[in-house]
This record gives sequence, C-alpha cells and structure tokens, in this order.
Amino acid sequence: MSARKQGDGQPEDGGATAGKRLKIAKFSEDPEKKGLSRRLKDAEISLPIVYGTIAFYLGRKASESQSHKWTVYVRGATNEDLSAVIKRVVFQLHPSFNNPTRVMEAPPFELSECGWGEFEIAISLFFHPDVCDKQLDLYHHLKLYPEDESGPQSTKKPVVVESYDEIVFPDPSEAFYARVQNNPAVIVPRMPAGFNISAPVAPENTSERERGDTKDHPLSQWFMNFSEADELLKLAAARQQPFMEMIYEN
Amino acid sequence: MDAKDILGLPKNQLPIPQEKKSRPPKEPQRKPDGISREVYALTGGLAPLMPSVDVSQLKRRPPSDEKVTWQWLPFTNSARKDDLQLFHWVRVVNGVPPTGDYAFAKYNKAWTKEETDQLFDLCERFDLRFIVIADRFPSSRTVEELKDRYYSVSRALLSARAPPADITGHPLVKEPYNISQEVERKRALSMVLSQTKQQERKDTEVLAEAKRITESRMAAKGPEESELPAVANIGPDNSQRAITGDAVTPSTAMPSSAIAASSTLMADNASTLASLRMLRVYLRTYALDQMVQAASASAGLRTIKRVEQTLQELGVNLKPKVPTKAVCAEHLELRKEILTLLNLQKQLQYKEAEGTSFQDSPYSETPGTPKRAPRGDQDRPFMPDPLGFGGDRFGKRDQKRKAPGRTSEAAQSPSQSKRPRKMKASDI
Repeated sequence: MSARKQGDGQPEDGGATAGKRLKIAKFSEDPEKKGLSRRLKDAEISLPIVYGTIAFYLGRKASESQSHKWTVYVRGATNEDLSAVIKRVVFQLHPSFNNPTRVMEAPPFELSECGWGEFEIAISLFFHPDVCDKQLDLYHHLKLYPEDESGPQSTKKPVVVESYDEIVFPDPSEAFYARVQNNPAVIVPRMPAGFNISAPVAPENTSERERGDTKDHPLSQWFMNFSEADELLKLAAARQQPFMEMIYEN
Repeated sequence: MDAKDILGLPKNQLPIPQEKKSRPPKEPQRKPDGISREVYALTGGLAPLMPSVDVSQLKRRPPSDEKVTWQWLPFTNSARKDDLQLFHWVRVVNGVPPTGDYAFAKYNKAWTKEETDQLFDLCERFDLRFIVIADRFPSSRTVEELKDRYYSVSRALLSARAPPADITGHPLVKEPYNISQEVERKRALSMVLSQTKQQERKDTEVLAEAKRITESRMAAKGPEESELPAVANIGPDNSQRAITGDAVTPSTAMPSSAIAASSTLMADNASTLASLRMLRVYLRTYALDQMVQAASASAGLRTIKRVEQTLQELGVNLKPKVPTKAVCAEHLELRKEILTLLNLQKQLQYKEAEGTSFQDSPYSETPGTPKRAPRGDQDRPFMPDPLGFGGDRFGKRDQKRKAPGRTSEAAQSPSQSKRPRKMKASDI
C-alpha cells in the first residue's frame, strides 16, 4: 500500500493487486513508447486467422433446450499461437444465454456452449497496445444443422463452418515488428538489408505459449484446410483464358 | 320510410287510418324537386326546419335586359411593332363592340418615351434613390426594372455620345446591370434573412459536414501526390466507423473513395489504399471488397452482375475462400480485366450499331447476327452474347442460340477459332 503513489485513486482492498499490476505495466511501457512512435512506412504485418464454429449433435443426451454442443473459436491459420498479437477475444452470444458477453483473456481463444438455436456470434478481437489500440469485429453465423437433411443427425460428425481471413496492420510500430519478426503465426515483410531491430530480451511465458497453439487441439481433426495454392491456380488459369487476351488487342 | 322498413318499426301509427286517402296525393306534392326521394326520406319524411336550397334556382342567371351576340371581328395589338391584324370572337352588347385596347397589351413591358422621361425626372429629383423613385413612379414598376431602364438608357447615351474606345473603362460599360442576377440575389438575401434559427443550425451542420468530406477527400488524394502529413483529425473518424470485418461498410471511408472515383482507375486504387492505411487494422476481405468497389465505381449494376457471372463461369469464387495477399491481388486484377473486357465489347457493339445505322436499309443485317429482346438499359436493338466470342466455349448460354458462329464480330482473333471447346473444371 505504501508503494502506491499518492492520489492514485485506487480502491483500498480489491484494487491493491490491480494497482500493482497497473504500475508495473506503466513502468514497462515507457521505453516502448519510442518504439510505438516509430512506424514502418509502406509495410504491413498480417496475421492469418481462421474463425468459426464446430457443432455436435448430442443424440441421446439431447434435450429440447440443449440439442447441440458447439464451440466457437479463433485460431491461427497454421494453428500457431495468436497471443503475441491478440490480447483478448470477446464473444457476444445470443441474449438468451447467461452472461452473453464472454471474455477470453488467454489462448486458445474459444468458447464452448450447449444450445438449440442458430444465431450470429459477434467476435471482437483486442490487440496488445503496441499492435493496435482499436478492436476488430468479426461476425459468424453459428450453424448447428447440416445441409444434408436426410436421415438422423450423427453425433460423430459435427457441422463445421470456418472462415479464413487475414488481419492486416498497415504501418506497424517498430516495437510490434521487433516482437513478432520471428513469430510463426505472423507474416512480416522482408525488410531491406541492414535493417535491424533487436527483439526484446524478455522471454514470453513458454508454458503458456505451448498451450496457446491449436496444433494438438482436440477438435483439430475437424479443422478445414485452406490452401492458397488452389485458389491462386484457378485465378491464374482464368486470367490466361484466350478470350481474355482480347483486352490486350486493339 | 325505408329506414323504418329496415328496422322493422311500424310505419306512422296514428295518422295511418285517418290520412290514408289524403296521403298518396299529398306525398308526391310534398316531395320537393331537386333532391331525390331517398335523400328526402333520410330526413324522416318531414320537411326540414330550415328551407333547403332550391337547386333549380341556383344556376339561373338574372334576366338580362341587353341583347348579347358574339361576332368574329378583327383586332390589333398595341404592344406589337407591326400592323398585324388577327381575328377573334367578341361579345357584342346591343350592337356595340367593346372599346379599348387589346386586353393583353398591358402585359407588355415596353417603356414609352413618356415613362422614361418620368423616370429620369424622378431620378434627378431623388438622387438615384431607386426605392423612393419606385414608390413615386406612376405605373407600377419594380426597383430592378427601373434600375435596368435607367442604366441601359444611360449606357446607350454614353456610347452614342462618346467614341467607343474611350468608354470601355466606364463602369456603365464594364459592369452592366444584370437584372435577373439582381432579382435572384435579392431573393436569396431575403430568404437568408427570414431563416429561422433551426434552418440556420441545419445549414451550418451541412456546411461542416461538406467541409469534413472535402478535407478527407484531400487527405485521401494527398498520399498519391506527396508525402502524407499527419492527418490526425481524419484518422479517428475513419477508424471509428470502419474497423469491422466483412459485413459493415464505413460511411466516411466510402465517400473519400467514391468521390475519387471520378478520377482515373489508378487514382481509385490509390485513394482506397490511402483510406485503408488510415485504419489501424482491417481484414483483408474488407480491403478486397473496398478495392473491388472502387474499381467498379464507374460501372453500372448490370455490368457488375455480368462481371460476377463471368467469374462464376470461370469457376472462380466471387469471394475468395482463402484471401491471402496474393490471392486478393490476383482476384482484383481478374475482376478489372473482365471489366475492361466487357467495356470494350460494349464499345465495339456501339460502333457496329453505328455502322449499320448508316446503311440504307434497316434490314441489312449480316446473316448469323443473333436477335435478342432489347434490354431495358441499352438502346441497342441487337446485343450478342458478351462471351459469344469464343462461340461454343461457354455452352450454357449458347444452348439457346441457333447460330453458333459470330461472323459479325470483327475482333475475333484467329487463335480463338481453333479452340472451340468449353472450359471445364478439370482443365485447371
């Protein structure tokens, strides 16, 4: 308590530890401020992610109000740990759920629930201070029932809907770049020769990091494969169509 | 009577036995002319307390003592400079045709010498105080009319008396009085003066909004011309409204890219890129969407639909399933190319149609040119299938066609005729 500054305005009891944490955060951020103000022009850092839902029919255990068990999540596209970039994820569920605002402070950023209805889930991504001070919102429609309605639902085969996207940070801060330049989850630009930013010395919590990736996630067998190659090939083929050559004639 | 019938009430009780005989003759007499029987019955079969208006009296006119005839007579118009004589019907009373000038001559705004002299006299007396002059002027003329007359006469006098070279600097000649402009200006001034406080507030709001939009437009154009200085005030606006992913389109980022669409396509891209950079974070799908919109800004809805149709026929997803940087770039380029292609084809058709319209007979189409129902948004009577160049290539559309070959299309390259087969998914 005596370590607290005068006039901090912190509450007496409950805020004691919070106050300490705050102080530490403030202290460590100061040297990073320089890194925040210096930004990489004409460069972008991008984070490929996959977000979606997996829903299992409960079969015998199903009731009227709880017929399915589903999980909504945000994962790295290559199943790497996203926590270097994403600080927390907030899932906003249908108001009929208890505490519909669910906050995930640590990876893996996911949430499991039981229910019977399909609805739109709002997923808000919050980033670390040196990454971005604005949140990013995603929307995903929870799908419980399979397209193919023939026959009874299987409890073994879930309904999986995933979307691939990339979070782009234009003009990233140098501090951010330094921190993630070797992070497998992040796509960093190739900087010109002679460009050197030393990575921060403080190591991240390794035990957390091991659990933060989704490579051995129990649901990983259902994850979809997103291959850039297929799509690129199709696009290239389309552009090379003979009739497209017309635009270069005349 | 009928109402009572409906209600099932007994008809007039007491009078019935006594007045039965006298009734029938009385009723037709009592029923007044002018209103129908049913309407009268609504009042209960009795005379109203107030005498009703006798309709038959309404259209009658007071008997006239005069004898009125109509005659086809000639007339002249004092407002005319020539001696044109026309004819019209004239109401002649007791053999006397009407006197006086042609009724509409008074609407001619000509200035008589007398009027002009009066004007100048007043101008001298009142020191060119036109408001006072207008009040004193015998015939009703507006201030602007008086001014116009005075200045134009003065100018005519000046140019008549002095050599033309000397007077070009004179205010009368250099800045002639523009009556319509003046009328408009004064009207606008009075409007502004009589604005209520609410209107004033609304106006300032709209102006502030317009200013903000032009500023953001400037900011968006800034990077493509020079290094972008810190545009802090625009940044928060954009990022506040435009952070989200797929679903939401921002309101301020769009105007800056939509306004820039008037410039070239390259500028479109540059301004969209600039506005994207303003956001601290965005999704690649959102960025692609913005770029696609910017690229299609000059195209109509129809064209955009055709682009999408082409994409589908090529087996390409309208929204990429794996939107990496490379994939998005390729997708955008493909879309732009298709757009260019469609535009070129359209231009080609216009040129051809112009060519055929110059020919004599409207029936001289080349054989094999397909006829199609005219589309609502185009004037062209014939519109060959845009992808019909490669004839049988995209078989879906061609199934409806009878003539497979397109001999009229001039731009068909020789290589195309060698590849008639339809592109299949297995090809790639």
